This record gives sequence, C-alpha cells and structure tokens, in this order.
Amino acid sequence: MGTQVKDVVIKPEAPNTLLLDKHADYIAAYGSKKDDYEYTLSEYLRMSGIYWGLTVMDLMGQLSRMNREEIIEFIKSCQHDCGGISASTGHDPHLLYTLSAVQILSLYDSINVIDVDKVVDYVKGLQQEDGSFAGDKWGEIDTRFSFCAVATLALLGKLDVINMDKAVGFVLSCMNFDGGFGCRPGSESHAGQIYCCTGFLSITGQLHKVNADLLGWWLCERQLPSGGLNGRPEKLPDVCYSWWVLASLKIIGRIHWIDKAKLRSFILACQDEETGGFADRPGDMVSSLWNCHIQFCICIYILHVISLGLAILYTELIILCGTFLPVLYISIQVDPFHTLFGVAGLSLLGDEQIKPVNPVFCMPEDVLQRIGLQPDLLN
Amino acid sequence: MHGRVKIKSTAQQEEEKRKEKEKKLKAFVSARDAVLKKRSAGEHDEEALQLTRQLLSSNPDFATLWNYRREVLLHLETLREKDEVQKLYESELHFIEACLKVNPKSYGCWHHRTWVNTRLPQPDWTRELGLCDRCLSLDERNFHCWDYRRVVVKASGVSVEQELQFTDRLIGSNFSNYSSWHYRSTLLPQLHPQPFHSHRVCEEQLLKEYELSHNAFFTDPNDQSAWFYYRWLLGRGVCVCVCLELLCICEDTSAHPMLCVCVCVYVCVCVCVCNLDDLHVCVCICGRSELSVEKSSVLQAELQSCNQLLELEPQNKWCLLTIILLMRALDPLGHEKETLAHFQTLKEVDPMRSTYYSDLCSKFLIENTILKMEYAEVRVFSLSNKNLTTLCHLDQLLFVTHINLSSNQLLRLPPHFAMLQCLEVLEADDNAIENLEGLYHLPKLEEVSLRNNQICKLSDLESLASCTKLTRLDLRGNPVHRTAHIESELSQLLPRVTALSL
Repeated sequence: MGTQVKDVVIKPEAPNTLLLDKHADYIAAYGSKKDDYEYTLSEYLRMSGIYWGLTVMDLMGQLSRMNREEIIEFIKSCQHDCGGISASTGHDPHLLYTLSAVQILSLYDSINVIDVDKVVDYVKGLQQEDGSFAGDKWGEIDTRFSFCAVATLALLGKLDVINMDKAVGFVLSCMNFDGGFGCRPGSESHAGQIYCCTGFLSITGQLHKVNADLLGWWLCERQLPSGGLNGRPEKLPDVCYSWWVLASLKIIGRIHWIDKAKLRSFILACQDEETGGFADRPGDMVSSLWNCHIQFCICIYILHVISLGLAILYTELIILCGTFLPVLYISIQVDPFHTLFGVAGLSLLGDEQIKPVNPVFCMPEDVLQRIGLQPDLLN
Repeated sequence: MHGRVKIKSTAQQEEEKRKEKEKKLKAFVSARDAVLKKRSAGEHDEEALQLTRQLLSSNPDFATLWNYRREVLLHLETLREKDEVQKLYESELHFIEACLKVNPKSYGCWHHRTWVNTRLPQPDWTRELGLCDRCLSLDERNFHCWDYRRVVVKASGVSVEQELQFTDRLIGSNFSNYSSWHYRSTLLPQLHPQPFHSHRVCEEQLLKEYELSHNAFFTDPNDQSAWFYYRWLLGRGVCVCVCLELLCICEDTSAHPMLCVCVCVYVCVCVCVCNLDDLHVCVCICGRSELSVEKSSVLQAELQSCNQLLELEPQNKWCLLTIILLMRALDPLGHEKETLAHFQTLKEVDPMRSTYYSDLCSKFLIENTILKMEYAEVRVFSLSNKNLTTLCHLDQLLFVTHINLSSNQLLRLPPHFAMLQCLEVLEADDNAIENLEGLYHLPKLEEVSLRNNQICKLSDLESLASCTKLTRLDLRGNPVHRTAHIESELSQLLPRVTALSL
C-alpha cells in the first residue's frame, strides 16, 4: 500500500453553516482584553493583526464596530523617521508592517495621516542590486518582501519609483521546476510564496510569464481528501491555505480546478461554534475516540447484564463513568489570522453573504475600486 | 498560531492554568518593558544581551529584539580584539542553536545566524553544514534549514556532486522528500551546463535521474514527490526535434529538416534542405506537448516501465497522468484513443481534479486537431463533439475562416478568441456558453450560430455590435429569448443582422 496520505478527518458534527455573527463578535472583542496572554505575546505583529481583524470585519460588513480613531492614532505612532512603519509602538519598522498599515489606512480612506512620501522612500531604499527587496535595514531577502513593496507602492500610486525590470527579474529567478515560487532563488515552492509572487506579477503586469497550467496543477494538487488545502506536498491542510492557494489559482485563472464544495465544507468545519472565529483545522479526532470508548463500555455493560448480578453491575457503571468522564476532549484554538483567511477563502468561492475580496491584495473589492486599482488576472 | 490545540478540562484545572498564564504574562511584560527602556536609553551592554537572551529563547519571532542584539554586538565589536570578537560570535551561534531547538522554523533565528556568519572573523562552514545535517534529519521539509544550507554551500564551495549525494541519502531514507527532489532539480543544471539551453540536462545524467525516480515510485507508487520530479525530468533532455512539417512556411513539402533548434514548446526553427543546393530556414510548428522530444527509444522505454506499473496499480493517478504525457511526446495522434480512455479513468479515480483533467484533455484534443490540419485545409477547423471544457492555442488558428465548436461543454468564448481575425463563420451550438467576451472586433465575421447555449441577457451580446459584417445570427434555444422585446432590442443593437433566429 505504501504511504498514507497526511490529512485530517472531519467529524460529522462539525459546523456546516457559516456563523458570520459569531465571527464578528469574536473579532470585535479580540484585543479588548489587553491582558490576554496570546494577545500580548503577538505584539510583534500587531499591525498585521489589526489588518486581519479590520479586513475580515469589512468583508462581513461590520467594520463600523472597530475603533477607527484609536487605530489611526496607533498607526501614526508607529511611523519612524526613516518612513517605515513598525508592528507596534517601540518596535522597529519593517516592510511587512508598512504594508499592513497602508492597507488599514486604505480601508479607512485615511492614507494621508502618515507621511506618504517617506513611506515611498523607505520602500524604494530597500530594493537591492539584484532587484530583490530586504525586509528592513538588516537585510533579510524574501519574495514576500517583493510583494509587500509593490503592493504598498501600488496602493499609494507610486509603483514607478523602483527598478521594475530588476524586481521582476528577481521574482522570476525564484520560479522552480514545478512552476511554483520560493523565498529566494533555489528555495522550494510554497503556497504562501506563490501567493506573493503571483500577486507581485499581477501588480507588475507580468502574469504571462507564469506557466499557468503547470502551476495550476501543482496548486490543485494541494487539495486533500478532506477537502482542505495544504501548502506543499505531504503536509497537513490548514485553513490559511484556503486563501493562499485559492487566491493564487484565481490570479492565474485556474480556480475552477479545485473541488469548491469540498473546500467549503472544510473551511466551515474549522469554525468554533462556541467562541466564534476559525482555527487552522477542524476539531480533532479525539471525539471519535470518545465515541469508540462509549461503544466499548456499552458492550461490556450488556455482557454484564447477561452474566452478573445487578449490584455488581451498578458498581461497574460507577467505575466506568468515573474513568471516562474526566477524559479530555480536544477542540481547537481560533485566531484572527485564520478567521480572515477562512472568510476570505469563502468569499473567493462565491459566498454571497460575504463581500467580494480581491485575490491580489486580500482587501474588499469595493475599497480597491474606490482607489482605482484593478490588477490583471489571467483568464 | 499553527498547530495549537485548546484542551477543555475541569474548572479547577482552568483556574490553575489562568493563574499560571497570568504569572507568565507579568514576567514577559516586565522583561519586555525593561529591554525597550534600555534600548531607548541607547544602552549597548552585556545586560542588554542577557535580557534579550531571556526573551528570545521563548519568543524568537520578536524581531525587534534580534535587531537590538545586533546593535549591541556591533558596538561590542568596536571594543574588542579580533579573537574576542570570534568568541563573542561563536557564543552567539550557541545561543541561536538553543533557540532553534525550541523553534526550528523562526525566520528571525535563521536570519540572525546568517548575519552572525558575516561578522565572524573565521566562520566554520563545516560546523554550519553539520547543523544543517542535524536539523534536516529531524525535519527533512524544514525550508528555512534548506535555504540556510544553500547559503553555507555557496560560501564554502561544497561541490554539486557532494550535494547530489546528500539528496541521494535523504531520498532513500524518507518518504516525505519533496525538498530533496526540489534541491536536485536546482543542482542538475549546474552539473553539466548545456551551451544553448541552460535548463537542459545531458542525456547520461538524465538516464540516472530516470532510474532514481523509478526506484522511488516503484517502491511506493504514491510517493507524489517522485512523480512531480519525473514529470519535470521528461522535459529536460537536449532536443532532437521530430519536425512534423505540417505548417512549414516554405510551402515545399519535399523539404527535409536538417537541424532543429527548439525556441519554445511549439515552435522550432528548422534548417531545411529543399534540393541539394538550396538551404533555407523555416519556422515549423511541431506538434509536441510540454515534453520535449527525446530520442524516441528512451521515451519508449519509460512508457513501457510505466505501463508495467499501471498493471500492478491500475488506479494510480500519477501513473495514469504520466503515461498520458509520455504518449503525447511519442505519438500524440497514434495514442489518441488510449489517451482519452486514460483521462476517463483519471476522472474516476481522482474526481476532485476532474475539471483539471477535462481542461487538459481539451487542450490535447485541440493540439491533435491542429496536427491533423493539412496545409490546404487550414481555413476550416472542426472541434465539434470533443467534450471540450476550454479553448486554447487560438494563436495557431489565425488563418481559420470557418470554425465549428458545436456539441462541447464550453462556458465562454474567452477574450483570446478575438485573435481569429480571419473568421467568417462560427458554429458553437450545443454548449453552455454564457459569455461572448471574445466575439469582438472580428472584421470578417458574417455568420454565428449559438443554438442551445446559456445566453441570458441582451448585455451578453453587446460585443457582437463591433463585428460589422455580421448578418446571420442564430440564438434559438437560449434563455435570452424570454427577455421582453428582445427582437426589437436586438435589431437596435445589431442593425446589420438580417437573418436572426430566436
């Protein structure tokens, strides 16, 4: 038989309807309890966290529930002298958070609260000789940063300040044997990087350089029997890939190569019905272990009824109950990151309860229309 | 954020957990505040290293702390002798390794290690390679580690052969080895670079790679990594083009191609001999698939191997798809029937990807039809009744005047359709067409039949107004006929159409 396919099993009781209101409540409340452990430890990416939260709220038509003024003030306090923007106050500037900040300000149509020219200078200054972009002055190179650079500049209408030919040349040098893209030349293909590179090529009008049939095949092979998508071969599915793989497929015109119904079921199963929000994958297999345990106990019970007296049976029952009641059942941990990508994925799949999302920028289409940005997609 | 599990337990355990988290949080916040305060004060001392060490060990993604640490180290460099600097950074490497043990996938850690090696007076690349070996033995798919390995290999001049051997070992021992196959794909072209085709691989090496892949998927036919790699391999050989001469521009059917340079998948520039003293260059369109044509015997042997495997594993989708690709490379027309049968099986064994297989099959059928085109009849092109779900290669039909797309499963006439500038007659009955974007500015188009499709609204037909010679239009069997006043609306939109059927 050989290798087993790495995958998850969706239990029959998993959520199968979209619980938008619960997700809106979850995001609205997230971060209000500022003494939360996970919240504080993720301060190093706060700007992106805010972008994820705001974008998903806007997609659900609930942006008004977020504190616009507070967020805008926060962003202002995060712009450094060099023009770059940091994840939070007291942290260092970086391209990742510069993009997130510009995305947030675009959602709020308030781009001019920061010094736009300095942002442009900051981004331009990070382009290297070979066309690549560093994330910050410390020099880490990654195609993610190429995407951040052009997406930021496109939102600001300033794409012309960089060396476009070299930037494109670098990204294309990261194309692999399978049609995919990695972090740097020679790096393995990964759905997250593929999203960044196809997004980059869309913004720069170079999508014709992609081998859409080959890459589309690699991407549709990310779909596992559970319906979920992984990020590269032999990996477990994760709801965030419902965004990166799906958006890439949309950009290269091959989204119909995915089994949409099965993916939708997978994404919905990743919801937490109690707390709202999405986790990386559906609630776990331990529940089915629980069911087996019960069935086993029932069999023993029946056997005892047949062969032994009731008094003994009663004692046995107490013991059985005592053993499996405190058995842990494992459910799932949600977060705003997976919540955005679950909802955005559903939007790309055509869910009409959610606003249309732009596959390149991961922002509501109406925001991009207002800005006047319509990046090319392949047919 | 990934792979986290929430565990529900008794109220008491919940309370204990909450107290513990609160304690941890307090400790984190006070350490963080102390560090950031020190940094604002511009202090670059040992204490800064200690505080950041404490925090980074369990929070390696807190990037600003790595930045601060680098600032401190750079400052300390200016105060110390070379051998002390060596020790300083070696100690840093120990620290990073400890962090990597906790979190082997932190971008911050790996980048910092790369940076440290640029500051070390004497980097020890052997040690670094050893670190990579150890890290990959724990997780062969850790792309951070692979990327770091590439940096080490480049800096220390490890040979391509050595690295190929390394991938040999890994591929042999582990089923999840996509990263190793990927690495091989980048190493091979560096072994024996071809002069004109930098992405090609010489035949001797190619045969070795075929064997390696065979071993992998014969041992485990579900080892998808080997199949991905194999598909790529089949296109790598030096091209010996079997030119089919079907669309040779020189119009001399007695020409014999002497030499072929493949420009891209479909076009070869051939040097042909028409008669003994007349050499000329022509552009021939060869009916090849994505696979370049190998010396036929090699591909034939590959096909045989895969067919043997298929007998053992008749439902293996990787095998089926690979056989299709091999058959296309060898003899697309001769193998057409088998190809269609295999596609049918593929859709049954791998239904999630049925639309992919349908589109791919459509592409191959269109290619075959193009191959069958005789030069004299290049004007009339029939693709009817072929289960087509997509249209492609329209750029090869620029001279076509009559096209028949009837009885297929097309949903639209895509924008590229407008390339068919010579088109006079279009038959596209019995499809599911709802979108006619591609039917615009076709200056010679006179007659269009779109019976039994899914054209619903008047606006779906707007593009036709730009086809100024259009006189005959058949729209019977489309939902649009139910639109109120459709006849008068259409006569306004398309005044030159004299024969309209609804």
